[in-house]
Amino acid sequence: MVTSKNEKAALRIFIALLIGPMVVLVLAVVAYPFFFNVILSLSNMNLFHIRDWEVIGFEQYLAVFAEPRFWEILLKTLIWTLTNVVFHVVIGVMLAVLLNQLFVVGKPAWRVLLILPWALPQYITALTWRGMFNYEYGAINLVLTKYMNLPAVEWLTSPFEAFLAAILTNIWLGFPFMMVIALGGLQSIPAELYEAADADGASAWHKFRHITLPLLRPVMLPAITLGVVWTFNNINVMWLVSNGGEPNDQTHILVSFVYEAAFSAYRFGWAAALSMVIFAILFLFTAVFLNRTKATEAAY
Amino acid sequence: MLASMAGCRQESDRVRITVWHQKTGAERDFFNRVVDEYNASNADHYVDPLYKENEEGRNLFIIASVGGQGPDLIFGPADNVSIFALTESIQPVTNVLEPGYLETFSERGTVTWRDETWLVADQIGNHLTFVYNKALLPEPPTTVSEMISVLDSITADLDGDGRTDQYGLTWNYSEPFFFVPFLTAYGGGLMDEDGKPTLNTEATISAIRLILEMRDTYKVIPASTDYDTAETLFKEGRSAAIINGPWAWAGYSQVGIDYGLARIPMIEETGRWAAPYISAKGYSVNVNLDQSKVPYARRVLEYLTGPDMQRRMANELATIPVIESVIADSVLMSSELLQASLRQVEVGIPMPTAPQLRQIWDGMRGPYQLIMNGAVSPEEGAQMMQEEVEKRIADTFL
Repeated sequence: MVTSKNEKAALRIFIALLIGPMVVLVLAVVAYPFFFNVILSLSNMNLFHIRDWEVIGFEQYLAVFAEPRFWEILLKTLIWTLTNVVFHVVIGVMLAVLLNQLFVVGKPAWRVLLILPWALPQYITALTWRGMFNYEYGAINLVLTKYMNLPAVEWLTSPFEAFLAAILTNIWLGFPFMMVIALGGLQSIPAELYEAADADGASAWHKFRHITLPLLRPVMLPAITLGVVWTFNNINVMWLVSNGGEPNDQTHILVSFVYEAAFSAYRFGWAAALSMVIFAILFLFTAVFLNRTKATEAAY
Repeated sequence: MLASMAGCRQESDRVRITVWHQKTGAERDFFNRVVDEYNASNADHYVDPLYKENEEGRNLFIIASVGGQGPDLIFGPADNVSIFALTESIQPVTNVLEPGYLETFSERGTVTWRDETWLVADQIGNHLTFVYNKALLPEPPTTVSEMISVLDSITADLDGDGRTDQYGLTWNYSEPFFFVPFLTAYGGGLMDEDGKPTLNTEATISAIRLILEMRDTYKVIPASTDYDTAETLFKEGRSAAIINGPWAWAGYSQVGIDYGLARIPMIEETGRWAAPYISAKGYSVNVNLDQSKVPYARRVLEYLTGPDMQRRMANELATIPVIESVIADSVLMSSELLQASLRQVEVGIPMPTAPQLRQIWDGMRGPYQLIMNGAVSPEEGAQMMQEEVEKRIADTFL
């Protein structure tokens, strides 16, 4: 009995030793910054009160919702997120299905080639695309004008085109992730299901619709959730392709708007309040989406 | 490996003075070289330089300093000083330097704000100047109409594919800082003496119209450009001239361009020279500088801003010195490039140091670019600039 108690105590100590460092780490890098941000969002911290700031209540939240540009940029962020994730998933799943076919030769080489956009550092890709979108010297306009007899597009100087340029860049960057996830999901689908469908004379579309898609769902839904959160908060591509929101701050998404408020205007309290609003939007989305789709439940 | 370990041990025994700077191109190469020389000759301390782009460096420095961290010294332009001082990120340089040291400097060699000296300069300038490739443009123009006429003869489609291969002039005209010389040439400015923005004026509209004419009517400048594109065009010999500052000039000779400097031309209708902002560039001291490091920081500052350094910089980088004894060196100052640079400075306007300048740059950029894109007229754009800047200044207080 005494031995058993000692063993239990030793086990508890062992578990505490295993968990302890992780708890300390999570508290230091997640909990502390989060709660500090909550306090900042309730404060008047700005250029004039950077050291002597004080808690002023919910004024910054009211100012966020009273800012007309907040609603405009929220709408743009939703369009940005939806468009990107839809294209990431559609292109990713299509390529994965293609790569999963027996007739495809040189699969490893294709996989490497298609993962390249994802493997490259985002800022290099974004700046390269920015160069390619240059009106006079960019590769895209050169192709359009020289080989397709189309007029050059003002990719980076017109609001709509600049927004489109950022979306195109991010689609190129993001589809490999969905492709890799979908490929993993496809390879775990038992071949017998397709054989049985073949025996029943099912068409390729029917097999995709009734076997592939339902069985991909459990792996794709968490990936889509992650994709939404990442894309919603993807400041790199939008900021670098549009050179910080150009033209006329028309190519912001919420997270780049936060960055500008904090580090260009030094409105730390306001920026913290806006970042809490972003957190609330994403938290609600994730909770509702995972709950509705039962994404975390097993497929079989 | 043993040698590298020995090196690490030696470095760890020495006091480290960290310096963030925003020097680029040839200026950065020069800076790294003189820092290496300094480190090789000092056994008890060393300088650890780190490049930070101007905006990034300013933001990170404030955040680091408020958090009790940050580099010991920071190098940058004078317009950073008021924001640093306002956020108590820096301390007066007089806390570190010997009392008599600054007496050797000209009036422009230090930056004072609210009765304290916050920056000790290694150069005066930061001024945009007309830089021309002598192979394509032997004589620089002096008036805008002369300039347009000369540039028109240089701008050409050399291979007959319908696209312009060689421009007369290029510069980063989509950025407000690079618009200032033309604004001032029409008698305008960014703010009045009280720090209130003055953008919705006839001067702003006329200056914008001039740039649009050069682009759309005479087509002597590229249809769209940014800093890097402009640099590339000039360095590749595809533009006869560029408007750029002292930080870039040495880079042109490095790529083999025989260049000259001249004043940005005069606008005949106003009789005013295009006047760029001029400001000192130099070092400020972090408010968190450890007391034990003060003697070392002082020696580093005296080395980096001292007469020998300023003489070398003037020689190799054509920067304008700010120490009286160096300025009085007639042999040094007779250099053709330095003389031309000084002629531009003569007509320059001191850059305001008010903290609102940040909001003005950021607020005018968007509407200014909309005008350049043709989305709004110069009149509408000028009004938008004014409103946007006023809103940003008001927002800063929330």
